Amino acid sequence: MKQFLTVLKFELNNYFKNKSFILTTVLLMVLAAGIIAVPGIIMSNDISFGSGGEKENETETVALYDADGSIEDPDSFAAAMGMNIKWMECTDKSMLEDAVNDGKAEAGFIVEDLLHYTYVVENRSMTDTLEAAFSQAAASVYRAQILEEQGLNAAEIETLYQTQPEYETQILGKDSAGNYAYTYILIMILYFLLIFYGQMIATSVTSEKSNRAIEILVTSVDSNSLIFGKVFAGAIAGLIQCVLILGSAVGAYQIFRESWGGLLDSVLQIPVPVWVTFATFGMMGYLLYAFCFGMLGALVSKTEDISKAAMPVTMIYLISFFIAIYGMNDSDGILMRVASFVPFTSNNGMLIRVAMGSVETWEIIISGLILAVSCVAAGILAAKIFRFGTLMYGNPVKFSTALKKIREK
Amino acid sequence: MKLEVKDLRKSFGDKEVLHGISFSIESGKALGLLGRNGAGKTTTIRILMDVFRANSGTVTVDGRPFHPKEFRIGYLPEERGLYPKKGVLEQLIYLASLRGCSRTAARKQAVHWLKRLGVEEYAQRKLETLSKGNQQKVQLAQTLVCNPDLVILDEPFSGLDPVNSQILKDVIKEQIESGKLVIFSSHQMGYVEEFCEEIVLINHGDIVLSGNLDQIKREFGHNRLVIGLGPECQEPEQLLRENMSDLIDVTGRRKDQVIVKMKEGCTRERLLAALLERKLIPEEFGNYEPSLTEIFVERAGDQA
Repeated sequence: MKQFLTVLKFELNNYFKNKSFILTTVLLMVLAAGIIAVPGIIMSNDISFGSGGEKENETETVALYDADGSIEDPDSFAAAMGMNIKWMECTDKSMLEDAVNDGKAEAGFIVEDLLHYTYVVENRSMTDTLEAAFSQAAASVYRAQILEEQGLNAAEIETLYQTQPEYETQILGKDSAGNYAYTYILIMILYFLLIFYGQMIATSVTSEKSNRAIEILVTSVDSNSLIFGKVFAGAIAGLIQCVLILGSAVGAYQIFRESWGGLLDSVLQIPVPVWVTFATFGMMGYLLYAFCFGMLGALVSKTEDISKAAMPVTMIYLISFFIAIYGMNDSDGILMRVASFVPFTSNNGMLIRVAMGSVETWEIIISGLILAVSCVAAGILAAKIFRFGTLMYGNPVKFSTALKKIREK
Repeated sequence: MKLEVKDLRKSFGDKEVLHGISFSIESGKALGLLGRNGAGKTTTIRILMDVFRANSGTVTVDGRPFHPKEFRIGYLPEERGLYPKKGVLEQLIYLASLRGCSRTAARKQAVHWLKRLGVEEYAQRKLETLSKGNQQKVQLAQTLVCNPDLVILDEPFSGLDPVNSQILKDVIKEQIESGKLVIFSSHQMGYVEEFCEEIVLINHGDIVLSGNLDQIKREFGHNRLVIGLGPECQEPEQLLRENMSDLIDVTGRRKDQVIVKMKEGCTRERLLAALLERKLIPEEFGNYEPSLTEIFVERAGDQA
């Protein structure tokens, strides 16, 4: 145990003193906070404009050539557009175009009738809403004219169309639609943790072979302590990095929550059972894969061979990931039921079922036990392969060859 | 503490590389494992260190099975290597801690050995920034940092310059004098002669010679003499073969001296008298004391 703790501490120091680790963590924290903060700031500005800001009071000069007088009352029409518009009446098309070209008007409308017009603008910006507002107002005025011609009250009919039924939703089970976002985020966190740290653990194992420190290590420390120390250090470092990055995002959200209008509240309000499942199944799944990456790292002696050696485990995890993403659409289907018991897929599978589907307690316990036993077995196998691969320098050793040799012993 | 190795056998695949290695060594003494490249020295050491498992045979300490993890062992493997990107002191403390030292003791020992080996100024530097010679000193420091009871050095002098070799020699002598059990392998015979009371000569996985070095030398020198006929004598071997073949066999030459073996019935007095009688005046006449290199070449050199 003492040796395990010594290895764990040393490996953790390797992570926390590693400049690229620190830099990546800080950058991702800033990025996560930025992703929350920037839309928050934009929304905040929008809200301030919308609530009587400068833009609201700004008056835009818009040229209008309405030869047939389709727009009877331009001021009422501007009010229907919801904008402060000062109309510049033009006597022909060229006058209108000149006004727009010279910057006397910001844009212009050549109206044939309420349903046919040309919008003239010099440079159309991404946020140009003038044309859409004009179109809406023209359609509204047209409808009102027709209805009045038919002897109907346009305002009453408008109110009638806008009537919405009042209702309440009573969810007796789980709200899959509501839980989708945070389940997806949790699965993505696991995905990035595994892909990133799996490679790092494999590299850590291989580099000890490539720098020939391995012989001193295996004669100084039990290989179980060594491999478990490395993998657990990777797990702890990953967890800390994850907490810091998510923490900065959550912190930024708390600051800009009002700007977001509480839009992400549902994503952050993850129920305790889901957190517990994520912590237990996620961590055990992470360890299971990390041990696999560690044992594959022990089979090669050059760091450049790691990607190739780690490919089978990466592929297994990718398949597990896609099963999870597909399974989120049918969390109680047979695929998710099976996946929630298979060790290599149960970390995501059980998380989805707990978050979005219905699952019995005994199923969680059985699946957890299977995953825990698999985890320990993978750890012991990784230690044996690590020990076997100690002095296997040169070409990568096949996993099947390593297993055969271990059985022979 | 007495370490006994009995009848170690080891195969890699179908090929047996150790055919029954046996030796023993006690604390306060040094054992030299000698042999040519590929003889089986490193394999023997790796079995001692439990890097490999022997197919058969036993290793015991004071009669009980030897488990390396139960002892503090200073091991310098043939394949040198540490963490190039870690600080020197940091990794020495780590390795000492793994071998059972407290952190305080580990730091104290690490600082002591860095100072003793003259590399204390590099304690905070990354290993990769040190010269090769200084990296080897750090390697030696990691071997001794846990204050080991048993010191196992595989080719310790390999790649060392004369100054560093002298430092290493001094350190090994100190370890022996302080009662440590030292085993080291080498094919540099001069160093072995300096430290080792006991030697084991391995050739192609077999022990071809073992025992007390002085005794081995005496046995090899038994009945053999060196005769020097002076620098002006151009062909002393030829001369002795032609004139003294009834009493001696010429077995070799060492500079101006000829190494001869007395035939049965011949005595030193009779040989000396015969030399004088045949007008071969010896400027040098004495017992032959073979060097370890000569013994090595004779026992291991003919089976290449």
